Amino acid sequence: MIVYTRSVYQALLTKKYLTSKLMPILAMLAVMLSVATILITWSVMGGFLKTLVNSGRSLIGDVTVSWPNVGFAHYDELIGMLEEDELVEGATPIIETFGLIQLPDDRIELITIKGIDVQSYNRVTNYEDTIWWKPIDEPTAKDKDASDVRLEPDYTQAMEMFRSNAMTLTRRNPESGITEQAGVLGVEVTGLNVRTHDGIYDPRSFGFRALPDGGVERVPGFMPAGGSVGLTVLSLDSTGKPVDPVTRTIPIANEFQSGIYEIDTSTIFVPLDVMQEMLRLDEARKVEVVENPFATEIDPETGQRRPKRSEVIGIDPARVTTVLVKAKEGANLQQVRDRVYAIYQLFEDKHKGEVPSSFSMDNQIRTWEEMNATMINAVKKETGLVLFIFGIVSFTSVFLVLAIFWSMVSEKTKDIGILRALGASTPGVAWLWIRYGTAIGLIGATVGTAVGIAVVRNINGIHDWLGETFNLVIWDPRTYYFIEIPHEVEIPKAVIVFVVGVLTCVLGSLIPAFRSARMDPVKALRFE
Amino acid sequence: MGDQSTQSSILEVKSVRKTYKLGRVKVPVLHGVDLTVHHKEWITILGASGSGKSTLMHLIGGLDRPDRYPEDPASIVYGDRVITSLGAKALDRYRSTEVGFVFQFYHLLPELDVLGNVCIGAMIRHGRWGYVSNRRSVEKRAKELLERFGLSERIKHRPAELSGGERQRVAIARALINEPAMLLADEPTGNLDLKTGESILEVLAELQRDSGLTMVMVTHDERIAARADRVIRLLDGRVQEQTAPQSV
Ligand SMILES: Nc1ncnc2c1ncn2[C@@H]1O[C@H](COP(=O)(O)OP(=O)(O)OP(=O)(O)O)[C@@H](O)[C@H]1O
Ligand SMILES: [Mg+2]
Repeated sequence: MIVYTRSVYQALLTKKYLTSKLMPILAMLAVMLSVATILITWSVMGGFLKTLVNSGRSLIGDVTVSWPNVGFAHYDELIGMLEEDELVEGATPIIETFGLIQLPDDRIELITIKGIDVQSYNRVTNYEDTIWWKPIDEPTAKDKDASDVRLEPDYTQAMEMFRSNAMTLTRRNPESGITEQAGVLGVEVTGLNVRTHDGIYDPRSFGFRALPDGGVERVPGFMPAGGSVGLTVLSLDSTGKPVDPVTRTIPIANEFQSGIYEIDTSTIFVPLDVMQEMLRLDEARKVEVVENPFATEIDPETGQRRPKRSEVIGIDPARVTTVLVKAKEGANLQQVRDRVYAIYQLFEDKHKGEVPSSFSMDNQIRTWEEMNATMINAVKKETGLVLFIFGIVSFTSVFLVLAIFWSMVSEKTKDIGILRALGASTPGVAWLWIRYGTAIGLIGATVGTAVGIAVVRNINGIHDWLGETFNLVIWDPRTYYFIEIPHEVEIPKAVIVFVVGVLTCVLGSLIPAFRSARMDPVKALRFE
Repeated sequence: MGDQSTQSSILEVKSVRKTYKLGRVKVPVLHGVDLTVHHKEWITILGASGSGKSTLMHLIGGLDRPDRYPEDPASIVYGDRVITSLGAKALDRYRSTEVGFVFQFYHLLPELDVLGNVCIGAMIRHGRWGYVSNRRSVEKRAKELLERFGLSERIKHRPAELSGGERQRVAIARALINEPAMLLADEPTGNLDLKTGESILEVLAELQRDSGLTMVMVTHDERIAARADRVIRLLDGRVQEQTAPQSV
């Protein structure tokens, strides 16, 4: 005895019910909206976290060894030891400190200064990629009408020069012809580069400086072409205490964009040796005042004897505050950290008393995740919370689908009676509704996923449009660290959201399906 | 008709009782119905409103089950099948292949066009792949039936666009699509005016005569009953009398 559960009539009725009623359209809309919202939220929040993680990592390196302010000596030796290890890709010394920056318009701002050794810094981080002023072949993703000045053939040569300046941290002085040491400034620092909606920078040709008589004076706007800033730091005495302010004019070689707003508004890269000099962390002769007033020595320049005032008792080696370590591809970060610590212990054994003890270094050697733990955890929690809330919201769409199906089954009671009288089985009738729910789910979730992907891909454009049209700015780069809203959809996420969307509908149709199957066909036929 | 006892029976109904429950209140409708229907016979069931005619039809059609009294078991036997003891699947199969229902209120599916309404019984019967391979012959038969009932121009119409008589003819075509041996018609003309009712009746009478269909028809109308081979009267839930129509 063959009784078919699945048959052509369910397909036919599903199609007819779908096209001739408003209810299923509403159900599809509900599914579509929740699928789209969840996908958008998840993608943006997840992308936010991922960008944070990647940018943070690319600038900080994987593991840092730091001894703030006074720094530590013999760092070259430590780097040599680190680079010999098979877990380490490379290491670079830097000095991190804070100072005041005097901008072309005489504004004074607080700035994070990183003294770097360009060659090795570029090996450990993606410094070169962040350099903004360089020739590019293709417009950036959002630059639809290719209005980026970096694309212009006329400027290619200049851009090439800016790039090479950034890679050497130098700039030729046009007047004297001397090549000077220079810095690379965060692209948002001066406020003279206007970020367009296409995500590119349009440099102003000049800025204004307020004068005491109430007038204004033009100052150069495009920093890499002749702009300079004043940098003031507090130099350290021999005990590491900040004492005298030291100011130097630093020509700007180029500007960089990391994508993290916080960094791009308040960071300058300068050559490591410049920072060492300014902070007096450079190699120095250790001298002692000679107590004996009659002591003499031979002046090496003149060869004549002269009174001896001080005596060199040793060399104080140059110092840095931090060594950044880049791990080998795929290495476990915690493992790398532990290895770095082990290497530091060997290093300390060689220089007992000259470098910080490994005991106190233990919590100064950290992975970038540990350094940014609070921020990363906050974002992770926020993502979880938002997803949880949206999950609940979408769960209501299960009930919505359930309610809609319930009422449709009620409305179609007589049809169920007729089908049963014509020989349809109870599982067959149940299958009709499950199939119907699946169809609604598939259509709703497909459209929802497509809408979600489209919105995420164009989210910055949509956001800009909202800003222009309704003056609505949801994403303020100052709050969210990033200049752009993350706009990538991960395929697994889209698949999960899609599948859950379909399942929601199948779930919502199950109860009405059981109800229709349990319906007494005679009562259904008598139903008015 | 000749001597009925010599004809083989297609349906035997014995001691069928049916009680509806309205909450705690029991509503006994059938109190033990006995009935024999012969092959290719047309019988009509007469009875007052509420006497249980439709209830009996549903029981015969396998849509419902009679009460169970072990000391006096009810049985409905169709051919060699005991309908009253069939499982759910077998009962579904029985409804789809052996009987065709025609109702007073047509009971067409409003979303489907005329052709769809006629073919749906075949779709249910054949399953997915079976229908695909039988589709041509099913649609051919459906079109033949519709043509025979004067509906060939209405194939693409929805039920709402048809008159009552036309709808009932579609319903009859639907009931016949799987070539059942027995047609159960519950007041097929009850909702139609005299003239239309007459034409429907003509269609049914012709079918019964030409195709050798066994037909059980419920009606209120004595004149309609008069056209059948045999008339059965239901009173107080029992078969009160069986008469040859000429005695009416
Ligand atoms: N589901 C039910 N629950 C309770 N009582 C019911 C139910 N279905 C039918 N009845 C009752 O059973 C009795 C018989 O109903 P049935 O429909 O079989 O009568 P009928 O002879 O077909 O009447 P009509 O000529 O009006 O169609 C009626 O009194 C009706 O109220
Ligand atoms: Mg009735």
